[in-house]
Amino acid sequence: MGVKLLLEKAHVEGIRYFDTYRREGGYRSVEKALKTMSPEAIVEEVKKSGLRGRGGAGFPAGMKWSFIAKPEGVPRHLVCNADESEPGTFKDRYLMEFIPHLLIEGLIVSSFALGSNATYIYIRGEYAWIVDILEQAITEAKNNGFLGKNILGSGFDCEIYVQRGAGAYICGEETALIESLEGKRGNPRIKPPFPAIQGVWQRPTVVNNVETLAAVVPIINMGGEEYAKIGVGKSTGTKLISACGNINKPGVYEIDMTISVEEFIYSDEYCGGIANGKKLKACIPGGSSVPILPANLLLKTAKGETRYMNYESLSDGGFATGSMMGSGGFIVFDEDQCIVKNTYTLARFYRHESCGQCSPCREGTGWMEKLLYRLDKGEGKLSDIDLLWDIQRKIEGNTICPLGDAAAWPVAAAIRHFRDEFEWHVTNAKEAQERNYGLAHYADPIHVPVAG
Amino acid sequence: MSDTPLFKVTIDNITVEVPAGTTILNAARKIGGDVAPPAMCYYSKLQGSGGKCRTCLVEVSKGSEKDPRPMPKLVASCRTTVMDGMEVKNITSPKVLDARAGVVEFLLLNHPLDCPICDQAGECHLQDLSYEHGAEGTRYEFQRRTFKKHDLGPYIQLHMTRCILCYRCVFTADQLTQKREHGVLDRGDHAEIATHIEKSLENDFIGNVIDVCPVGALTDKTFRFKNRVWFLKPMDAHRDCPNCCGKVTLWNRGDEVFRVTARKDEWGEVENTEDGKTAWICNTCRFEKKKTSDWVIEGPRLISRQSVISQGHYAGKIGTTKPHETFSAVHAGRSPKLLMDIHSVSEVNKPEVHLSLIEGPAHSTDFNTKKD
Repeated sequence: MGVKLLLEKAHVEGIRYFDTYRREGGYRSVEKALKTMSPEAIVEEVKKSGLRGRGGAGFPAGMKWSFIAKPEGVPRHLVCNADESEPGTFKDRYLMEFIPHLLIEGLIVSSFALGSNATYIYIRGEYAWIVDILEQAITEAKNNGFLGKNILGSGFDCEIYVQRGAGAYICGEETALIESLEGKRGNPRIKPPFPAIQGVWQRPTVVNNVETLAAVVPIINMGGEEYAKIGVGKSTGTKLISACGNINKPGVYEIDMTISVEEFIYSDEYCGGIANGKKLKACIPGGSSVPILPANLLLKTAKGETRYMNYESLSDGGFATGSMMGSGGFIVFDEDQCIVKNTYTLARFYRHESCGQCSPCREGTGWMEKLLYRLDKGEGKLSDIDLLWDIQRKIEGNTICPLGDAAAWPVAAAIRHFRDEFEWHVTNAKEAQERNYGLAHYADPIHVPVAG
Repeated sequence: MSDTPLFKVTIDNITVEVPAGTTILNAARKIGGDVAPPAMCYYSKLQGSGGKCRTCLVEVSKGSEKDPRPMPKLVASCRTTVMDGMEVKNITSPKVLDARAGVVEFLLLNHPLDCPICDQAGECHLQDLSYEHGAEGTRYEFQRRTFKKHDLGPYIQLHMTRCILCYRCVFTADQLTQKREHGVLDRGDHAEIATHIEKSLENDFIGNVIDVCPVGALTDKTFRFKNRVWFLKPMDAHRDCPNCCGKVTLWNRGDEVFRVTARKDEWGEVENTEDGKTAWICNTCRFEKKKTSDWVIEGPRLISRQSVISQGHYAGKIGTTKPHETFSAVHAGRSPKLLMDIHSVSEVNKPEVHLSLIEGPAHSTDFNTKKD
């Protein structure tokens, strides 16, 4: 049984309400932080904890906090990124829905550390009912003196506002989120300047994921060094994984990043194995935009070592034989799933969600979708596969924001690892519509020359 | 400006000194010639423009004197400021040329390529760009996207299919006019420039969106299908206008004024007037004053000899500028290696004889007898 820091109390009855949450030891970190610690000390604790951003990129949170500019007389802001739109990721929703006060508590402490008197939760529009839950939690916290003017007599004022998005994936990108929060079209900004210098309304801003901010609570409660002892290497603390796909027990699991991928998929404590006794074919370990991995490379790295559920191990081997932790959306495919169709589905998603600001992403995502549609329907050509590779290569790294990369990576990885399946869709077009390509080809590592 | 430090930046082996805060693109434009990256969305006169089209991507092989690490990705030169000692590769980097070819392909993917019927042909940045960096054919085998037509009023014609979403017109309307009535609707590859619920664009300065549009998406309705730009003679002219600076370029054929535009510099941007303001012109000057008698003609406009507009219009060197040659500087003093110099084997096409001075079809005797 792994350590649980975030979801330990998530199933206590009535934990959604302030009284129960407080009785279970909630808001201790606010008392500790505001009464005994200075803002700099909190940032230092978070730095010591080695907490990495849980939104996808895995950037150290303490470092991000220390970058924030502190010009005289300019207000600073903390923005909580609850625009969780990555297909396969639903951990923030779970956390906010079941234990909203944990997020509020984390937000108060973080706001104090960063000196933000107006803190925003930017939540995706589809999470309509969670807005009510959060607003109720904020009201309760305010009524009990944990928000508003002069919190706990420390002289620190803080208000939290919940802002709904309108359902655009791109608004999860931090600068697009800021634009949207300002009431503009959600186009990502060109960086630099980074939000830490010029964010919301040109003021210094920190944008953090829900889970990152919630993790501040145990860090303050137990101390940064203690927190850093959980986990392994640079992957400290616990991580919420939202597992879905062809597994027996889909859901949100809190892991301490020391378990192996194999254990995570097959143990009864977590996913409980592949559903219907089928075999594992592939897995996207960190949300739709990270590279897909075939079963053999998922359980063992290219060097033959066991792959663990943490930032380093999942990205071992780079993109050639590895993937990324991403936002923790663990999507499992059994032997019946078609990778071409899956890649097409993802390409369609990115085409729909591209903001249309920069040309490679705007035009490239649409082109890839059309090619993949053709391949999936069995009307493709062999040259389409090389063309897809060339398109993704020209999108990746040449766009304003990471959405271009996110659109390119799944296509690249699918072709890299499952090229024979794409070819099979061309050469055996009729059969491809009726049955899936054999699993046997992925039992052993196949040597894949990196094209291009 | 005297207190801003000067930074040395090397672009394609040519070093130039620019004040701190200059972007790589503007530093490269200071050198000029092929070294300046193409820019489809950046417009130095519009705040916040740039960074979107990705044609100006360059490789930074050395970050600065203090931090010599190269930048990991190609950067948009229009939005990246120079550092002291920075080394930039533009046309000398195969990575950049490859990425640029990719961007050109992406830009042309849904472009209708209707240049033969497009009023912008001849002065279109996308034409220039694809001529220099594009491939001979497209690999796109699908239907190009189309849009529902929007009417933008009596003066401005919108061809959304030609649009490359550079956002220049949006910035223009934001920064020049009192109220912006058009913007970008939808997202991704179905994003379009439109007014929300069919409005016409009515503002004294809205005509300038025609000048900033790099392609033929926004064209002048009063000039529509009237003439090709290369049959017209651009003339600098001015009038006493109560609304704007009144300094324009008239596009004449004979005595007839076909269209009026703002004066554009070699980068296709509206020039500054003597007092440093950008010479935007008002709608009255642009659309209403179509008689020579309305204007005081100053003289022929300088046009690059490379431009199709310069063809056969002016005798001698009047009104044309020579292209700025950077080849030998970029290649460490080496001149282009010619397999054969045409002038050593042929008596025609001598560079010192200007073609426009020859009356009628050129003949070898023209080159033997006439000297410029």
